[in-house]
Amino acid sequence: MSFAQKARYNFMKDLGAPALMWLRQSQRKKRPRKPNPYLGPPLKCAGRLREIMTRHYYLSRFSKGAKPVAWVTSGAPVELLRVFDFYTIYPENHGALCGAQKKGPEICSEAEKKGYHPDLCSYARIDLGHAFSGKTPAGRLPRPDLLFCANNICQTVLYWYKELSYYWNIPLIIFDTPYNFQDIREKDIEYMVCQFEEMIPELERISGCKYSHDRFMKIIGIARESASTWGRVLATMKHRPAPISIFDAFVHLAPIVSLRGLPIALDYYRILLDELEERVAKGIGAVTNESKRLMWDNIAVWFKLRDWSLLFAERGLNFVAATYTNAWAETIHYLDEMSPFESMARAYSLVVLNNSLNYRLKLMEQMIRDYQVDGLVILSLRSCKPYSVGQYDLRRLLGERLGIKSVVIESDMTDFRAYSEEQTRTRLEAFFEALEV
Amino acid sequence: MTKTQMTRKDYLLDQKQKGRHIFGVFPAQYPKELLWAMNVVPAEIWDPPVEITAANAHLQPYICSVVRFGLELVLEGKCDFLDGFLFPHTCDSIQNMASVIHDYIGANKPCYFFYHPKNPHGKAAREYYVLELKNLMRSLEKQLGPLNPDALKQRIQQGHKISSLFGEFYDLRAKGELDVGNGEFYEQIRRGEYLFPDDLIPELEGFLARNKGKGEKRLMPVILSGVLPNPPEILTLFDELGVRVSHDDLLIGSRRLLVPPSNLKDPFKQLAESYFSMPPCSTKGAPIVKRREYLLSLIKATGAKGVIFNVVKFCEPEWFDVPNLTDELKKRGTPTLVLDTELNQGLSGQMKTRVEAFVEMIS
Ligand code: SF4
Ligand code: SF4
Repeated sequence: MSFAQKARYNFMKDLGAPALMWLRQSQRKKRPRKPNPYLGPPLKCAGRLREIMTRHYYLSRFSKGAKPVAWVTSGAPVELLRVFDFYTIYPENHGALCGAQKKGPEICSEAEKKGYHPDLCSYARIDLGHAFSGKTPAGRLPRPDLLFCANNICQTVLYWYKELSYYWNIPLIIFDTPYNFQDIREKDIEYMVCQFEEMIPELERISGCKYSHDRFMKIIGIARESASTWGRVLATMKHRPAPISIFDAFVHLAPIVSLRGLPIALDYYRILLDELEERVAKGIGAVTNESKRLMWDNIAVWFKLRDWSLLFAERGLNFVAATYTNAWAETIHYLDEMSPFESMARAYSLVVLNNSLNYRLKLMEQMIRDYQVDGLVILSLRSCKPYSVGQYDLRRLLGERLGIKSVVIESDMTDFRAYSEEQTRTRLEAFFEALEV
Repeated sequence: MTKTQMTRKDYLLDQKQKGRHIFGVFPAQYPKELLWAMNVVPAEIWDPPVEITAANAHLQPYICSVVRFGLELVLEGKCDFLDGFLFPHTCDSIQNMASVIHDYIGANKPCYFFYHPKNPHGKAAREYYVLELKNLMRSLEKQLGPLNPDALKQRIQQGHKISSLFGEFYDLRAKGELDVGNGEFYEQIRRGEYLFPDDLIPELEGFLARNKGKGEKRLMPVILSGVLPNPPEILTLFDELGVRVSHDDLLIGSRRLLVPPSNLKDPFKQLAESYFSMPPCSTKGAPIVKRREYLLSLIKATGAKGVIFNVVKFCEPEWFDVPNLTDELKKRGTPTLVLDTELNQGLSGQMKTRVEAFVEMIS
């Protein structure tokens, strides 16, 4: 790491980023948004979230050379990387950002030009497309020194990160989490712990930092606290009316994904939780007239977030639960400073996508009861096999067991070439009719 | 009827009558020798000749046809005579299909899962593989009784024999010294997907004795990559066009069949060592460099004039590797053809034209 680059990074962190935030905020104040009659007042925290994420992406431009840079999958145990002071970039989060800004097809096509099939996961295509063309709405992403990949969410990330590693000739560390076809076994935990032990010298070499157990324990504590606060944020949606919706949660998820293990994420969720508790106390809902409550299964459709939040809100429908947002609150509570490696293995390998479909069925049943859900929207995502294979049966079984009404819609999370407005509208209209809204 | 004349189903029923246990095994990597040692006949399920109807109610159309055909076979009751299923952890789609069958549909028979490490680089992965083998053994023992350690050693020896026979097949074919067409070659190879070793070994030996040494050397050598040689009509087309598949990088082919023998004493460690020294495979997380080097070595050894990637539609492990592999081969002057294939759909006019044009180009 060079002294000049470190000095530049620190300058930008202490002066450049705050100046940018100030400028953005003063511009934003000049054009306030018109309130929508179907939606509750916007969250006060939203500005702070924007600030945090903008700052994160902005500073990342100056991180190269000042800090070791890692690109990390959303389910990877990033806590270990924090010990070595890696600046972490989450390509999936970047993919979501591109999706929300409707840049998915344009950036995906850069990967397709190189031969990547349009059937492949669009997060991967966006990331590879960005790597080949530099296109991104985030300004510029730093080239990584390390790729860190955990296959607890899918095997796709493994294939995808292998490509990046090859293309840039940079090291790839894989954290292999055996799939829990049934219960997790001790030997699975041991295998994962051994992998952590194997990783440490490699991480020391790449980062030039020494492993510090004290630091690791602190980070583990912060990560657990952040995830449990995130869990409490989600749990506020058990109230009627729910103070936020899952569409909000999709957005407010960014820090727990991208900044997990850093104090800033914990601070943010504490502020958010305070605001939501205040809304609960005052009876303020995310949807002004919440009549029915819904659950969402799968990742968000980023390019439809705003449209759909209005479409559902107009009918008094609020999404109060989702398997996706829950994933970052579900197992991180296992983290334990007393046995950091074992607990981290457990926390990361017990996430919903690394468990059997029976587990997912039970989890959804529980969530439907806890959140008093009236209907279920299942998004079948052609990009994502682990999330989507099994959904038809999941729908059938939940219907049989709980009598819950549901609809399956087909789309992609970022690539709107795989989305049909007409077909979706028809299915949703039928669903609304069944719900009598 | 001799074993050679029997259909796959008849053979499996015959084996069952003889007291063997028949397991349906989904793709791709699993310890055959362990199953054999427990008197199990693994019947692999890749591309059964069924029409997909019932599976449509369970799987989206964007799931690969290996998984869709496999589930269809189960739903149509064509696996009812089996004594169990084994699901190796090959990819996300197989993983979830296993769970659909086990958790949602109900297989009414024991289901086993075999996780092979996706991080093939460290010591941890090797140790885990051994533990996973032992775990599979213990689970099978609950259904089938204790494993006889001598039987395992004997089956491992048979496994070595089979690999060396396949190795001979591949070598002779590479040199143009095997007198069989492409279709016949793969038909024989694929009988290993369900024959018990006691029957497979003599059959392979007979095949070699009959066909050794009379091959057509002048045929155009190409390498075939992908998961499996389907539609089978493509092999007939190669024959018609004077193409000899001089080697392959198929998941049902060299990636699994050419297993280097291990001299370790412990049979489980032996199986592990063989597994980790098999040719690189996308389903095992092999780095691209290794796959590239493997393909280049096959081209060099067989004088192949081109590489055909026959990729199953929606097969993520394969499709991710294709762009870099084709790019690298082209840079080194080897032409490539990439086909996007739905299984059992025959040879479309477009596919035929593309293959013909490719062969014309490399001739
Ligand atoms: S969308 Fe699905 S397939 Fe793509 S990276 Fe995420 S979990 Fe993996
Ligand atoms: S063809 Fe590909 S996606 Fe399908 S089961 Fe085989 S490895 Fe998995």
